[in-house]
Amino acid sequence: MNYFVIGYYALLIGASCLAAYYSARTVFLLLFSLTLVSFIVGIVGGESSLWTITICAGLLALFGGTAFAFREFLAIVLPTEASKAIKTAPLTATFGLFVIMTYAIAGIFAPIIAPYGEAEVIAGAFAPADEHMLLGADQLGRDLFSRLVFGARNTVGIALLATTFAFVLGALAGLIAATLGGWFDQLMSRVVDVIMSVPSLIFALLLLSILGTNAFVLIVIIAVIYSPRVFRLTRAVAGNVVVMDYIEAARLRGEGLWYLIRREILPNSTAPLIAEFGLEFCFVFLLVAGLSFLGLGIQPPTADWGSMVRENATLISFGEITPLFPAGAIALLTVAVNFVVDWMLFRSSGLKG
Amino acid sequence: MGDVLGIVLKRLGLGLITLLVISILIFFAVELLPGDIAEAVLGQGATAENLKAMREQMGLNEPAIVRYLEWLWGAVRGDFGVSLISQRSVADTIGPRFAATLFLACYAAVIAVPVAITLGIIVALLRDSVFDRVANVLTLTSISSPEFFLGYVLVLYLAVKNPLFPALANVNFQDVGTFELYYKTFLPALTMVLVVVAHMMRMTRASIINLLASPYIEMARLKGTPAWKVIVKHALPNAWAPIINVVALNLAYLITGVVLVEVVFVYPGIGQLLVDSVTKRDFPVVQACCLIFAATFILLNLAADVGAILTNPRLRHPK
Repeated sequence: MNYFVIGYYALLIGASCLAAYYSARTVFLLLFSLTLVSFIVGIVGGESSLWTITICAGLLALFGGTAFAFREFLAIVLPTEASKAIKTAPLTATFGLFVIMTYAIAGIFAPIIAPYGEAEVIAGAFAPADEHMLLGADQLGRDLFSRLVFGARNTVGIALLATTFAFVLGALAGLIAATLGGWFDQLMSRVVDVIMSVPSLIFALLLLSILGTNAFVLIVIIAVIYSPRVFRLTRAVAGNVVVMDYIEAARLRGEGLWYLIRREILPNSTAPLIAEFGLEFCFVFLLVAGLSFLGLGIQPPTADWGSMVRENATLISFGEITPLFPAGAIALLTVAVNFVVDWMLFRSSGLKG
Repeated sequence: MGDVLGIVLKRLGLGLITLLVISILIFFAVELLPGDIAEAVLGQGATAENLKAMREQMGLNEPAIVRYLEWLWGAVRGDFGVSLISQRSVADTIGPRFAATLFLACYAAVIAVPVAITLGIIVALLRDSVFDRVANVLTLTSISSPEFFLGYVLVLYLAVKNPLFPALANVNFQDVGTFELYYKTFLPALTMVLVVVAHMMRMTRASIINLLASPYIEMARLKGTPAWKVIVKHALPNAWAPIINVVALNLAYLITGVVLVEVVFVYPGIGQLLVDSVTKRDFPVVQACCLIFAATFILLNLAADVGAILTNPRLRHPK
């Protein structure tokens, strides 16, 4: 027993007593279950695991604080309508927005932020971090931090392009299928069934083995593999809109297919589609990262998070944490997008409480 | 029961047709190659004689449809042709590796399924409490992380910093004992368990909450049935279908998620073989692996549907 352990438990138990006294049920439950968990973890893992829990809690508090501050900031800056919406947003959602904004800034201003170029060799292989290199060097002596920043541009950029392409493809086919019906609808639905019954990673591998790997092929393949999800959703949503009276009225007016889709159906089915865009992006992003990790996605020397993990993986066996940064960057962005999508789905579904 | 049997048979037939269409897709995707397999393998510098010899050897001079039928007939009997690189029979290469992958998937499933369903039900019963929110954030994080991230985190903390388990799982099945096998493959299995438990928990929670919101559960509560009885007698019979669905869908997910995990841990499974073959452009192996993956995926989805049909009380007891 030392001061840290005693202080740790004293703080937790004291805080939970305080919470119970002020009948803050949620806080009490959280703190007290953390105490119980710490007992078990502390006995099994010793003092170091308690340190880990403390650091995690500190990080969580930091995230929470950032999210809170960012929410207040947005509420002041944004116009009244949006500010009302943001005030009711959960902290997880504003945290997600904050992360997305950070990534966007990193991606757009990559050449300004990064101290070195993405393919610039500046040190020996696996050189440790010093005042010039925040995270040290990779297996060829390139600055890891610079590559991380450029990765925000390349990896996210490719994923965004692929998602957009998949979306245009799937949504267009879905809208046309819902409006026209008949043989086109049947044909597209069967095609989609077939594409969806092959696991996406396997399908991507098959097509990549045939078409070879370059960025354009990658984007097209991923768009084709992921458009069926969009197709199904769009078709379902638009199917509900198509039977409305105003569509019938527009048809009787003699409006064409394109007008119907653009002016009548699309504006009435945007909400679920935007949420789907976020979800779709997560899937695409994970697939791109996975393919790059396997060495079949974005090709070197372009900086990319998936391949960076693979190239530096040997460092892990020396207890270095640096290869985890690109992988963590992938995870963080996906989590952030998911948080925001969760909130948007919650809002659009009108579920309250 | 005749009704149910009809539905099941119809579903099975549909699955078979899908599989057939996919086999066509996999076979003719390779035909899309500029030129043909021989040109793609031998590259630019191939002489006309070499190309001719290779086409002769692979039977490329016959029309595609004949080759497809031969390939399909071979695949049904477990003969996938010969690897372009090693010249070994594809079936011999894939066989042990597929067994290894199935072992890993089963290992993970045996741990994940009970844990996930229990946790999912608990979280559903405690919905909107702190635990539910914490579980929501944790599972979302786990789902959003790429498998290789989770894998390397586990390696860093459970193999390097605290040397509890080996970091690599490049086991040789003949040489290791049962216990050692489980020990050596624990980290890859755990990685998959983490991902799958998160998925499964969320799906179980959603389906149970959906169920608990239905009017007949409300009715049972209102007439004063004890809480456990509501769950066991009223909710559970209807919950089997969604739960079986969740399990089968996640097993299907396990089969594909295994590719990345195998590469991280250098596990000698079919996923690693597929990735290697894609890099080397060894098309017969790629085709065979894809067909096996797709077949397993379809089979498990089929099992989900059939399970849902068989456990649906409304279908089992027709009016």
